[in-house]
Amino acid sequence: MTDFPLNYNRPLIMHIDLNSCFAIIEQQANPLLRHKPVAIAAYDTPRGAVIASSYEAKALGIKLGVNVREARLLCRDVIVMMPDPDKYFDAHKRFKKVLLNYTDTVTPKSVDEFVIDFRGSLAIQRGKSLVDVGHEIKADVKAALGEYVTVNVGIGPNRFLAKLAAGLHKPDGLDIIDGNNLEEIYSQLTLVDLPGINVRYEARLNAGGIFTPLHFLHAPLPLLKKRVFKSINGYYWYLRLRGHEIDGVDFGRKSYGQQYALGDKTTDREKLSRLLMKLCEKTGRRLRAGNYIATGIYLWLSFENRTYWAKGKDTKADIYSTQDIYLHAQRLLNQALIPARVTNMGVTVYKLKPTTPEQLGLFDGTRLDTKSLARAADLVNDKYGEFTIVPATMANMQDVILKRVAFGSVRDL
Amino acid sequence: MRETINEAVSVVMYYSAKKREALPCLIRWQNKDYAVGKLGYHHKVKVGDTLHHIFELVDKENSLYFRLNLDSSNLHWTLEAIHDGLPS
Repeated sequence: MTDFPLNYNRPLIMHIDLNSCFAIIEQQANPLLRHKPVAIAAYDTPRGAVIASSYEAKALGIKLGVNVREARLLCRDVIVMMPDPDKYFDAHKRFKKVLLNYTDTVTPKSVDEFVIDFRGSLAIQRGKSLVDVGHEIKADVKAALGEYVTVNVGIGPNRFLAKLAAGLHKPDGLDIIDGNNLEEIYSQLTLVDLPGINVRYEARLNAGGIFTPLHFLHAPLPLLKKRVFKSINGYYWYLRLRGHEIDGVDFGRKSYGQQYALGDKTTDREKLSRLLMKLCEKTGRRLRAGNYIATGIYLWLSFENRTYWAKGKDTKADIYSTQDIYLHAQRLLNQALIPARVTNMGVTVYKLKPTTPEQLGLFDGTRLDTKSLARAADLVNDKYGEFTIVPATMANMQDVILKRVAFGSVRDL
Repeated sequence: MRETINEAVSVVMYYSAKKREALPCLIRWQNKDYAVGKLGYHHKVKVGDTLHHIFELVDKENSLYFRLNLDSSNLHWTLEAIHDGLPS
């Protein structure tokens, strides 16, 4: 079998991400934090996990996942802050607005990264260089978000190479990878430098005799497909590494979920029920705002002894109101074995279908009509703010389960 | 160190027709006036129907950060937090 060729087409996909997003936005907002080690942590208590750190903090080893206590051991002077999701969502929207000035084919990949497809862009077709566009975007982002904010720009013939290029010279880089320099770039990298390859994939590749990105590039398709990945993923990697686009698919909404890391770990089922209600309310608000009904629910708990419990259930009746979600989630919680204090819990509703056309219920318009009640409560909360009207179980829980920024999906923004 | 304040505060705001922007320029807090230096970030948050403007800025001496909240429903200002730029 002959090798599939590299993609020598003009690179027209741009990947762009904000450097150390949450930390740099905090440094922009508060000039007294600039050029200092800053860590954004889920909680500022010793066991709170760091979710973002400034370049100054990263240089001292304070990286994603270390806890606040470890961060302070690494650097006594690290400034630890709690996240401010509304500010990051605002930055995301401003960032997107800048990019939409260039083309309408802008795809958000997460709160701090976008993919832009310039294939249909008139300016580019008229001969404007994508490197010049990249520099213009950098300047526009500074004008829109602030002078301290920098972005990495990567340009490639597919999303994978564009993302790889964006990571080559952090912070504030701008690089191109195409068919001409692809092998040279691969020769300077390790397997885990490739987006999507973690240490577990690396071990799998090593077992197949692949130790460098160049080995990976030159590996025959049958080896990748049948021995290393043992699935269609081998074929995808074979194309992806050569610069062919196979990631340009945006999947629709499949589920809504909410999770919570308990600051106050517990085995108390009553406390867990109250937290569960709040998770259900948040999930329900998003489900209804998206105009969906679900017919499946999934609950998971993780425990202090590092064990995990999860159970899902398909439901006969539609799940729409917070009470519907809570009822099913509580039934699942009642079945849970709780061997140690619960550290994290999450609820997800799935098997979504649009609310329209709507199946009329037997109890519509009566006091058993939970859909109308949920809609009415949502309207009150829209007008007067979240948790103005809540089920009695959630009384006095306003500050429990804080607003968080999801890693990945930004569909609700 | 960051300190949560959440106190009503007096603010003088200046609107420039030329730049088409309105910015706080003086803060009176605990009987002391702070001239506003650099604005770090301004964003808006909706609480129900009410729009709040959040201004994050430092004083002219570059020694204290203020987080101010302007409630657009009644034009009341709240000093939400301060930070001296030092670790806690």
